[in-house]
Amino acid sequence: MAYILNFKDLDKSALPLVGGKNASLGELIKASIPVPPGFAVTTESYLRFITDTGIKEEILHIVSELITGDMNSLNETSDKIRQLIRSVKLPAEIRATIDSAYGELCTMCHVDALPVAVRSSATAEDLPTASFAGQQDTYLWIQETDPVVEKVQQCWASLWTARAIDYRIKNKFPHEKVLISVGVQKMVNAKAAGVMFTLNPTDGDISKVVIEGSWGLGETVVSGSVNPDKFVVDKVVMETTDKKVSTKHIECVYDPETEKVVDADVVEEMQCRCCLEDKEVKALVGMANLIEQHYKRPMDIEWAIDKDLDYPENIFIVQARPETVWSQRKPKTVIGGKSGYQLLMEQAMKRIKIPD
Amino acid sequence: MPDEKGRFPDPHEYQVPPELEGWEEMYPSHYLFTQDRADWEKNQFWYLDKIHAPEPMPPLDQIFQEAWQISLSQYTTRVFCIPPAQGIAQRMVGPYMYICAIAPPPDEIIGEKAAHFEKRVFYVFEHYDELWDKWLTKFKALGEEMKAVEVPAGLPKYVPDDQVLPAPIGVYDSFNLMEAFDKLANKMIKGWQYHFEMLNLTYLAYLMFADVARKLFPGISESSIGKMVAGAYVSMFKPEEELCRLSRLAHADPGVADILKGGATAEEKITALENTPEGKAWLAEYDQAKDPWFYVSCGSGWYHHEGSWLTVPEIPYGYIKSYLERLDRGETIERSLADIEKERDEVIAKYKALIQTDEDRESFDGAFKTIRTIYRYAEDHLFWVEHWFHTIWFGKIRELGKVAVDAGMIDEVDDIFMFNRYEIPELLTEVSTGWALGVDIPMRGSHYKAKAAKRKKILEAAREWNPTPALGVPPEEVAEPFTIMLWGVTTDRVKEWLKGVDASSAGDVSEIKGFASSAGVAEGPARVLKMLKEIVDLQPGEILVCPTTNPSWAPVFTNIKAAVTDIGGLTSHAAIVCREYGIPSVTGTGLATQVIKTGDIIRVDGETGVVTIVEKAG
Repeated sequence: MAYILNFKDLDKSALPLVGGKNASLGELIKASIPVPPGFAVTTESYLRFITDTGIKEEILHIVSELITGDMNSLNETSDKIRQLIRSVKLPAEIRATIDSAYGELCTMCHVDALPVAVRSSATAEDLPTASFAGQQDTYLWIQETDPVVEKVQQCWASLWTARAIDYRIKNKFPHEKVLISVGVQKMVNAKAAGVMFTLNPTDGDISKVVIEGSWGLGETVVSGSVNPDKFVVDKVVMETTDKKVSTKHIECVYDPETEKVVDADVVEEMQCRCCLEDKEVKALVGMANLIEQHYKRPMDIEWAIDKDLDYPENIFIVQARPETVWSQRKPKTVIGGKSGYQLLMEQAMKRIKIPD
Repeated sequence: MPDEKGRFPDPHEYQVPPELEGWEEMYPSHYLFTQDRADWEKNQFWYLDKIHAPEPMPPLDQIFQEAWQISLSQYTTRVFCIPPAQGIAQRMVGPYMYICAIAPPPDEIIGEKAAHFEKRVFYVFEHYDELWDKWLTKFKALGEEMKAVEVPAGLPKYVPDDQVLPAPIGVYDSFNLMEAFDKLANKMIKGWQYHFEMLNLTYLAYLMFADVARKLFPGISESSIGKMVAGAYVSMFKPEEELCRLSRLAHADPGVADILKGGATAEEKITALENTPEGKAWLAEYDQAKDPWFYVSCGSGWYHHEGSWLTVPEIPYGYIKSYLERLDRGETIERSLADIEKERDEVIAKYKALIQTDEDRESFDGAFKTIRTIYRYAEDHLFWVEHWFHTIWFGKIRELGKVAVDAGMIDEVDDIFMFNRYEIPELLTEVSTGWALGVDIPMRGSHYKAKAAKRKKILEAAREWNPTPALGVPPEEVAEPFTIMLWGVTTDRVKEWLKGVDASSAGDVSEIKGFASSAGVAEGPARVLKMLKEIVDLQPGEILVCPTTNPSWAPVFTNIKAAVTDIGGLTSHAAIVCREYGIPSVTGTGLATQVIKTGDIIRVDGETGVVTIVEKAG
């Protein structure tokens, strides 16, 4: 079994091995969607890591001592296990594999010390019925093998947050059966980024794609720390039916001095400027349509526009998962089974109130 | 402007400017706000009808309005019986027309109408194709009858021998003259009876389909609904197709093409073409296409002074010139109707695929079938009535005008239009009387000439006057389909409209709203054209701003960046053509031609329906 797998070799059948997020990136690539290159550190790596280092039994032992219903005990258990996973040294074989995959990625992008995003990709996450969203970790702008390895271990540790443990207990998921994978993906040097839905989350209108975006990396939009610009686009005729440009005070950017991703102030003249050009909006909607057609269901998508590349090569999809709110509702008729003539009769009887 | 309770001026107290003094006598007296109907009139909502009467109304042109008030209303109230809807009433205030969608009738009437509606309307939908064929056949026959009305070329000194011998025919031109006008007036009113035969139902079906689409796709735009319903209209675009065909023919013959591409007037070109056999052959093709396809008004068809392709040949010849130049550049001039159909079918299929339940998909199909069955009527009737039929009529009336000029009753042929349809019989009777009485009979020419001059002055002065957008009290609800469809009073649009007109007098409007009728965004210099004649001023790449457009404007759309109109919804001509040419349009702004000046840099957002003046000219 492979320790790492290239995104482009993945599809949904790889889910048990690479988790939902990574498998989904593979699916996107298969659907000709531009996804930044990268690789998955498989569940096999995690399994070998906990087995070869002998910490598996220790973890299961710690968790077995958990006092059900006791918050303190839950937090303590979580802290102990996560500390353990972060501190134990990765077996050399796995480390070498990651090192070589990262090196290849750098070579492919013609950049030394390529900045990457490291994200956990849980095998149970992203399933519409068991959303773990927000419980797993994302580390942005990581450079060089050692920090990448460190973040991989931190992602593994996120399998054992207090909430995750609690969730498994409540839903009777056996702890030893839950595995985790990690994605390592080239960072998009985002001019603007955000999310989009292939339906209107406000009213469930399935003929719309709703895009929310802001300057910089998408984290400000995902976390809700800015009011994003918003576009509602009809996916059939590709018309923007609603557009709202907000004042965007901060943006999430990489700060070379601190070598961290930080929230920076947006220069004043950019604050009220729309973060997407019309053609970029159209291109995103086109991709949203392709993604939805590929998955045959409403989707929740993260995107980014690279500032180093020219349109249309600058547009990337960084994540796609099933939409979970409206999709859960049982579709019901809105017209009530009426025929064309019944509808006409109804229209003929109508009196329309004039708004005050 | 409305007071704080939202009331507009009482129509009985509203004053017109003193320059318009005497306007009342131009129109039938039932068109005036009167004291005997004051209680009813002041409690209705009357708004300026910019669709049918954007300009001051010449007295004879008012016949069309008089005809539609009866016809439109009767189909709603007495023929197809749309249950809660009543008719549309008209009044004149100065030379401008105000209209009112009358409040719903009592409940028992609504109940009675519902029974008739069910029985009659569904029958029409089930037999639509056959009914349309019948309609067109009888309408064409009526037009032919109109053409056949003989207007005496002039009154002879003595009737010719053959009208007396071997037996007197007994009826002479004195009578023929009077009869000709009666026939023409009656046929016009009859034509308008036909005009609405299925139009009310078409609009009703459109509103129904739009409502279904909005229920299924809450945020669907008006222009998407328009796209689903629109077809590749046959008669609507036939004049343009014929010009393309004639251009192709000419292009194949360099001699003919050179003449047509030259800078000469249409008349000079025709003379030059007559001198060569190829030119003659081409002219024969042109003449064959002419009836009916070039019987198109240069305007809306509602005013005599707009002219038609028959009376202003510079228009079709100008288009042919520009088509030939495009053919020289290797461009395609024709639109593919098949592509338009295909695109529409794709749009429909995509929306349909999005519907979540089979039950709804079935209802959508039913609703779509209902509108598609009848929708062509909305486009087709327009060419036949407002263009072909009106053009025939204007020609015939001018023949009468010439007789009146020869008799010394008026100075110019078109002065005949300064008298309403009740006054003309009197004028013609006087002509016949004077002729019959013998020689050296004093005529009242000076009386009619003075009247015509005064009325022309009033109409001219009225152009400078901006009448109130509305009178009376806004209604609480509306059920009348034309009102909803054409004027869109059910939305906030009326308020936008009223607000805009208000502010425009203060000169501070920089943004106006209308129907987002064709998607896309464009920015560029505006060209405000009040009349099609001014089209020669239009430069490629400009944004057309005009009161409304119709088929005779069609060739213009290849040269412009976007279009903005005062009047017209999603199914208006400008909206349809812009969608087909893929250029943005905002229609039904109510006041674009008032607010925007030629040379202003404007931004037209066909997706939100907003027109912004980015930079004022000069």
